[in-house]
Amino acid sequence: MNRPASESAHPKLGFRVGYALVIAVLIVAAIFTLFPIYMGVLNSLKTEGEMLNDILAFPSRLQFGNFADAFEKTDYMRSLRNTLTIAVVGLTGIILFASMAGYKMSRTPGKLSGFLFATFVLSMLIPFHSIMITLVKISKALAVQGSTFGLGFIYIGLGVSMAIFLYHGFVKSVPRELDEAAVVDGCGEVRLFFVVIFPLLLPVTATIAILNLLWMWNDFLLPLLMLTDSNDYTLLLSTNMLFGEYNNDWAAILASLVLAMLPVIALYILLQKYILNGIADGAVKS
Amino acid sequence: MRITKKRKQSIALLAFVFPALAFYAVFMLAPAFGGAAYSLTDWNGLNPAYEWVGFANYAEALSDDPSFAHSLWFTVKFVVFMVVLQNAIAILLAVLVESVGRGKAWFRTIFFMPNMLSMIIGGFMWLFIFTKVSSYLVEHAGLSFLDRSWIGDPDFSFYAILIVSLWGGAGYLMVIYIAAIQGVPKQLKEAAAIDGANAWLTFRNITLPMIYPAITIGIFLTLNSSFKAFDAVYALTGGGPGRATQVVAMNIYEEAFSFNSRYGYASAKAMILFLIIFLITMVQLRIMKIREVEA
Repeated sequence: MNRPASESAHPKLGFRVGYALVIAVLIVAAIFTLFPIYMGVLNSLKTEGEMLNDILAFPSRLQFGNFADAFEKTDYMRSLRNTLTIAVVGLTGIILFASMAGYKMSRTPGKLSGFLFATFVLSMLIPFHSIMITLVKISKALAVQGSTFGLGFIYIGLGVSMAIFLYHGFVKSVPRELDEAAVVDGCGEVRLFFVVIFPLLLPVTATIAILNLLWMWNDFLLPLLMLTDSNDYTLLLSTNMLFGEYNNDWAAILASLVLAMLPVIALYILLQKYILNGIADGAVKS
Repeated sequence: MRITKKRKQSIALLAFVFPALAFYAVFMLAPAFGGAAYSLTDWNGLNPAYEWVGFANYAEALSDDPSFAHSLWFTVKFVVFMVVLQNAIAILLAVLVESVGRGKAWFRTIFFMPNMLSMIIGGFMWLFIFTKVSSYLVEHAGLSFLDRSWIGDPDFSFYAILIVSLWGGAGYLMVIYIAAIQGVPKQLKEAAAIDGANAWLTFRNITLPMIYPAITIGIFLTLNSSFKAFDAVYALTGGGPGRATQVVAMNIYEEAFSFNSRYGYASAKAMILFLIIFLITMVQLRIMKIREVEA
């Protein structure tokens, strides 16, 4: 790759060597990337003794005992349901409220609109750690702490800023004539938004949904602060708790890690194109 | 007539903005302002009575708290390494992946995958590698350079945290850089090729300047995320041994929730973290924007 083709006595050969080098580097990087995941899956299928005996070898016989154990101990179905509840409440609120606000502010000229928009956007610079202490106090006072629904509400509050920012920018590309035409046809403000505008925002809605879903699904610190009862634990929290409990029984721990990552890996395989595009769009626009 | 129309417009605006604003005010603005206010008190989080102490908390955090100073220093060191390495690796991966013909999609899929996982999960998996797999490799494959306590030795656990963070974060930036590279006009590269430029010269003189705006974003994102690092450290070392690998976020967490529950004091530390991130980000964006215009 580094060698200019013209300098080489055999231009084609020089190019091929360069290309092979590129592929080699990429393959090494790919192996490095997958290694921890591979080791985790591999050893979760062994017994503890088999693992200690040879950590790299294939299991002599596939056994799913660790998984059954971890499934039960993390109360997998309930943890999964808790995680989903939080994500659904959070996502619905963020998408609904942020699209309404972003649209209307983008369409309304004037100082009030500008002030509101600035209020939302400026806080995107405030790190979570700077607000978490007081957030816990407020959530306790409002009895939002300790419930999956409540946690979903908190995510709405923390997530709308970025979503509003993205919607606000996107709405500019939706022709104003549409609004006017709909009003002339006797469409009210609310119907105009939900029937005419909202469907047109789908591309940016997809981006926002993906970014926020990944955030809520993988967030650890906020659930740790907010969910006090193990009945409400998310997948991550139950996995973390199990980690302390098993105390170095790695075969069992790895099974719980694999179980915790299954849903996201499945999601990734299904929606790969949208996820990668969503990440790129989200970053470029914010 | 005009006034009523304007008022009507404002009412409609507020009606559409209200739901978002309500959640935002309660869970974002109020904690932010509340935190700023508490940082000036000696509140312990439980006792309803507390006193205003002015900037005493700030003074204490900055001059009389070795564990906070250490966590700040550790975090800054981590941030510097992350900004340089994460962006360099992401750009390298993006360039290499984009130069491949077949298999491009595979590589992109694989390099991004760790990003789908929580760093708690990733961190625990790496903990397995650093403790069990590495000692196995030392014993059976003779890879003696792995023979160290990755987690127990503060020097090496810094690198362990760095490796895991890069593993988890580089793919995200790679996706952004790939999008930027795809936006570079093909004609420019072709012209460079005709002029006899090799791959390095083309990268240095065409690709790099053209993706400069993406680098601004990449550094911004890395600064932001690595100043807030928590999950990977939590999973790998828990901040230990002792407090050797404690990042600022952990120090604040501990101050508020586990040891002393000094809410006022912890809030002051949180405000200091905010100011540091804010100032550095502003300076970075200012500098990069200036260079962007020149480039």
